[in-house]
Amino acid sequence: MATEPYAVDVEGVVKRFGQQAALDGVTLRVRRGEVYGLLGPNGAGKTTLIRSLVGLVAPEAGTVSVLGHRMPQLEVLARIGYMTQQAALYPDLSAEENVHFFGAIYGRVDGVRDALELVDLWDRRRSVVSTLSGGMRTRCSLACALVHKPDLLLLDEPTVGVDPQLRVQLWDRFRKMAAGGTSIVVSSHVMDEAERCDRLGLIRFGKLLAEGTVAEIKVKAGVDRLEDAFLKLSESPA
Amino acid sequence: MSASRVQAITRRILQQFRRDHRTLALLFGAPLVILALLGYLLRGGGEVPKMGVVNLDGGPLGSLVASTLASSKTVSASSMSQADAEARLKSGDIAGFVLLPSDFTAQVQQQRIVAPAVHLEGSQPGLSQSILQSVSQSFVALAGQAGGVQFTPRVVFLYGGPSFDTLDYFGAAFIGLVVFFLVFVITAVAFLRERGQGTLERLMASPLRRAEIVLGYMLGFTVLALVQSAEVLAFSLLVLHVHNVGNVALIFLLEALMAIAAVNLGIFLSMFARTEFQAVQFIPLVIVPQMLLAGIIFPVSTEPGPLQALSHVLPLTYAVEGLRNIMIKGADLTWPSLQLDMGVVLGFCILVILAGATTLRRRIA
Repeated sequence: MATEPYAVDVEGVVKRFGQQAALDGVTLRVRRGEVYGLLGPNGAGKTTLIRSLVGLVAPEAGTVSVLGHRMPQLEVLARIGYMTQQAALYPDLSAEENVHFFGAIYGRVDGVRDALELVDLWDRRRSVVSTLSGGMRTRCSLACALVHKPDLLLLDEPTVGVDPQLRVQLWDRFRKMAAGGTSIVVSSHVMDEAERCDRLGLIRFGKLLAEGTVAEIKVKAGVDRLEDAFLKLSESPA
Repeated sequence: MSASRVQAITRRILQQFRRDHRTLALLFGAPLVILALLGYLLRGGGEVPKMGVVNLDGGPLGSLVASTLASSKTVSASSMSQADAEARLKSGDIAGFVLLPSDFTAQVQQQRIVAPAVHLEGSQPGLSQSILQSVSQSFVALAGQAGGVQFTPRVVFLYGGPSFDTLDYFGAAFIGLVVFFLVFVITAVAFLRERGQGTLERLMASPLRRAEIVLGYMLGFTVLALVQSAEVLAFSLLVLHVHNVGNVALIFLLEALMAIAAVNLGIFLSMFARTEFQAVQFIPLVIVPQMLLAGIIFPVSTEPGPLQALSHVLPLTYAVEGLRNIMIKGADLTWPSLQLDMGVVLGFCILVILAGATTLRRRIA
């Protein structure tokens, strides 16, 4: 919808856990149909930021808008797909039953087959999740996140513990979905994945250090490798 | 076998518990709480059963028995008319009364046989026992006065009777208890599993409303709980032949209400635990005190005063009383006492449903 220029619009968000500031005034925008990479080490605040987008974290200061609406709002949640870091599935249900359940929650059971085919699990749909391998569980979890064909997909480190071959497959799928108009926010601490994003946000200690395309960030830091850019930008006082 | 490896495991276990303050508190606190409760319950100078003395005898021996009973420490006896005694027995105000006939003194003096009628309410075996004992003790004093007499009381039960065994008394309470506790534990653990495996996080990020989660859980587990209730009831009545004079549908209705309350109590309390391990710890905290105080084994009317107040707040007390009302006394919904029991259990259901829904934290714009 043209009235929603940004899929995600985060403005000066602060969230503390005790003394520790998980988010320390983060401002970032994700355009529609864009794959936005949140890059940062463990504990940088990536998960807290993603959770604030679905209303699971209430910011102490700042505003969070998703798809043109201030969060939290149930109508908007229905248009978001959220894949948690851990493959959050019901181990006693089959892959298909899991995807069907989440489809029913979002009122879109018609997407079950598409979702399972997209992650190459249609042939294993009758397998009980507890018997699936780790990689298959990750894919099943992804299928649950996109069964309702969301406008915005939030992926919290979706490729952790996934072998390189599957990682390439998953990224192909993310790109395909973005091409179809889905906005994607994906967090990662793996640098080579960052190259596949349209734009990146480098996050550390709850602060956004830099934002832009891979090329822009390299230029800003004056280095050739993204890894070096990250290290360099972390050192300089932001 | 390596001693150091064994030691490593032992040490690790103790280290884990050092950080788990809640478990430590439970491990060392709960036994004291439970034993103190039990001690207070049994030795706290609780109330003694109330009984009536109907003395129709004009002679000296009738009033001797009456005054012995009145000064007894094991029962609280007071004189009343026969009509009054019968009414108060029915309402549950007294647990029994002894009827001394008009020819009591003459009978004792001529036949040396004491055969008074002892009327017992009968639904609480502990109370009946106390009254029979006190009455027979009062006749020991009589024997001293009148010389060797034979004591053969005629016992009349309002409910139950000599054919009742322990299971008949406790069966009614346990039918509800089994369902309540099993359903509570299973729901609490299932809800915590949802949290542990991360699916609750997912549900919270979905357009689900918290009331929908609670209601969905409630219906799902209620289906299981109702099947369990029907099974327990059928087994108790058809296989164990637990005494029942009441309407089976009413028993099932009360059981169903208890099951629904248990489901929601499970959801509600699981909010206060982080792991399934911690949920199991609610058993000694939530379940054991209720077992002691709900009148299942020890009648509420003979508890020490402060514990009686506590018992009257516990919903399980009303559930147990309701089941006994139906199964032993044959109560139906026109009985005010059963209306109260059902009303309290229903009210508790609604309370825990609301509590579960509000505690399931969720900010909705």
